[in-house]
Amino acid sequence: MSALIGAAVPAPGHGLTAPARSHEELAERITARFPSVRTELAERGPLVVHVAASELVGVLTYCRDDEELACALLADLSAVHWPAGELVIERQRSTTGWPDYRVERELGMIEVLYTLRSVARNHLLRVVTATPDTAPRLPSVTGVFRTADFHEREVFDLFGVEFEGHPALTRILMPDDWAGHPQRKDYPLGGVDIPYANDAVVPPPDERDLRDVVR
Amino acid sequence: MVADPTIAALRSGLTSDDEVFVEGADWESVVDAVKDERLTVNMGPQHPSTHGVLRLVLELDGETVTRLSPIIGYLHTGIEKSAEYRTWVQGTTFVTRMDYLSPLFNELAYCLAIEDLLGIEAPERAQAIRVILTEFNRIASHLVWLATGGMELGSTTVMTYGFREREHILDLFESQSGLRMNHAYIRPGGLATDVTADFVERCEALLARLPERLGEFEDLLLENPIWNDRLRGIGVIDAEACLELGVTGPLLRAAGVPWDLRKAAPYCGIEQYEFDVVTETAGDSFARFLVRMEEMRQSMRIVRQALDTLPGGPVMVADKRIAWPSQQSLGADGVGNDPAYIRHIMGESMEALINHFKLVTQGFTVPAGQTYVAVESPRGELGYAITSVGTNKPYRVHVREPSFVNLQAADEMSRGHQVADVVAVVASIDPVMGGVDR
Repeated sequence: MSALIGAAVPAPGHGLTAPARSHEELAERITARFPSVRTELAERGPLVVHVAASELVGVLTYCRDDEELACALLADLSAVHWPAGELVIERQRSTTGWPDYRVERELGMIEVLYTLRSVARNHLLRVVTATPDTAPRLPSVTGVFRTADFHEREVFDLFGVEFEGHPALTRILMPDDWAGHPQRKDYPLGGVDIPYANDAVVPPPDERDLRDVVR
Repeated sequence: MVADPTIAALRSGLTSDDEVFVEGADWESVVDAVKDERLTVNMGPQHPSTHGVLRLVLELDGETVTRLSPIIGYLHTGIEKSAEYRTWVQGTTFVTRMDYLSPLFNELAYCLAIEDLLGIEAPERAQAIRVILTEFNRIASHLVWLATGGMELGSTTVMTYGFREREHILDLFESQSGLRMNHAYIRPGGLATDVTADFVERCEALLARLPERLGEFEDLLLENPIWNDRLRGIGVIDAEACLELGVTGPLLRAAGVPWDLRKAAPYCGIEQYEFDVVTETAGDSFARFLVRMEEMRQSMRIVRQALDTLPGGPVMVADKRIAWPSQQSLGADGVGNDPAYIRHIMGESMEALINHFKLVTQGFTVPAGQTYVAVESPRGELGYAITSVGTNKPYRVHVREPSFVNLQAADEMSRGHQVADVVAVVASIDPVMGGVDR
C-alpha cells in the first residue's frame, strides 16, 4: 500500500497507480475465476455482480486481492427488502408516459449490496447477494474488510440479517431492547407507544386523540 | 471523568471474580477494591468533548486506553425509513438534516443520485452554483471542526474565531436559501431558486475576508506548543489501515493517499477548476489539521474560478414533468412565491395550475433502477445508494455516511494513548452525530 503514497492524483478513467478497466474486462476477469456468478452490464453506474451467498466471501476476497480488480475499499454495504406477494404500481401512463410497474414474488428476499471501490484503478463494483427474508442469514465479510463491522451491524439491526462469523453482532442504531427490524417493508412507519413507570401508556403521535391529551 | 466515581459507574476488568460495580462511593475504596489497574469506563453520551451524543466505552490500563468501543444511535431518527413515505423532492428536506454541518453535500449527493436514475443533468449555471455553495460549505464545516476541536483541547479563542467566520458563510447561505442550515436548496434537476443579484458580491466579500482569518488561525496554532504537543503523534493511522477500515476524506489524505472524489469521480463539472489534492504523510492528528487548513484554501481557489466563469441561464431542467413548478422571488418578507407566477396559474392557465398541483402533491416518478452516487464531503465519501421501482417515492434510500464509517477507526487510533488523547483523536476524526445515527 505504501506504493500509493506520493502517487499521481487520480483522474476519471485512471486510478492512483494504474488505468481503469472497462466493465467488460472486469466482468470477464470475475467470471473466468467464478463461472457461476452472473454479471450485469448496466448502462449507467458500476458493474453489477450477482453471487450466491456460499460464494460471497470468496468473490469479495478475490476482488480485493486480484491485481486487475484491486478493490481495496469496501465503500458501502446496504440492503433492500423485497417482500413476497404482488406489488403493482400504476402510474397513469397517459400523463407520465412511463409504463406500470407490476411484480410478483413467491419468496420474500433481502438483497444485500456490497459496493467495492478500487483506489488503485478507480472503478466501482457492486456485488449483490440475496437471502430469504423468513430466515435471513449470510456469511460475514468482516474477515475480508474490517470496515464491514458497523455496516453489518446496521443491516442486522434494520433488516434482521444474521451475519455468521461477525465478532459482535448487536444492534447499532436502534435501542438494544428494540423488537423488530424497522427497515423491512412489513414494518410499518408510525409511532410506538410510550410506556410510563406508573403503567400508563400514551399512544404514538399519529394515533393520539388530541382531546384525550389536551383537556 | 474517571476521577469522579459519582458520575461514572466503574467496573474493573472483565472477569467475574474481581468485578466491582461502583456508584457514588469514595474514590479510595474503589481503588482498594480493584486488584489490577484495568478499568472500563463510560465517556459520554453527555460529555462536552463527544461532538453531540457519542458514547465511548473505554477499557483502561491505568491511564492508558487498551480498547475503545463507540456506542452510537442516540440521534437515530429513521430518516432512511421516513424517506420511503415521501416524494422524491420532499426527500431533500430529510437528507439535509443528517449531517447538519454539511447539509448541502447531503442534498447534492441525493439529487445527483436521483438525476442519475432519471438520466438528466442540471443546467450549467445550477452546477456551478452547486459547486460554489458546497465548497463554501466545506470551509464552514472545517471551521466548525477547528472551533470544536480547539475548544475540546482547551483553546477557546479558536472556538470563538471559528464560529465567527462560519457565521459569515451561513449568512451567505441564508441570503440564498432563506435558512442558515437545513436549506433544501439543491433540488432534483437543479436549484430551488436562482441566486440573488448580490450573490457574486457576497461571495467576493467572503473570499476577501477568509484568507486573512485562516492566516490568523495558523498564527495562533501552528507554532503553539500546547497545540503541537496535544496533536503530534496522536491517533496515528497508516494508509493501509485507513482503506481496510473504509476511512476516507481528510483522514486518508493525511495518511498520504491523494484520494479525492472531486478528482477521481468528478461531479457538477468540478473537473474544469484547478485545485490540488492536499496530502500529508504523518497520518496523525496534526497532519489532519494541516490537511484541513490547506483544503479550505483549495476550496477558495475553486470558488474563485467558478465565480469568474459563472454561466448564465436557467437553474432548473427545462422538462416540465420534473422541474419544481413553483417560481420563487425575493420579496420584502424574504423568499416567497413570485406574484407574477401566482397570477399566471390562478388567473390565466388552468393547465399550469393542474400541472403545478400534480407535481407538488404527487411529485414526479423516477424510472426503476439502482444507483450509487458519491461526493467528496468534508468528512470523506458521502454516498447515496438509492433503489427506485418507478414510483413517485423512493423504494429505499441508503446513505453511506463518512462519519459513521470513520468512527470505526477511533479504536485503532486511541489504543496506547492516554484518556485525554481520546478527546484529540475523536476531534480529529470530526464525526457529526446527526450523520452517524441518521
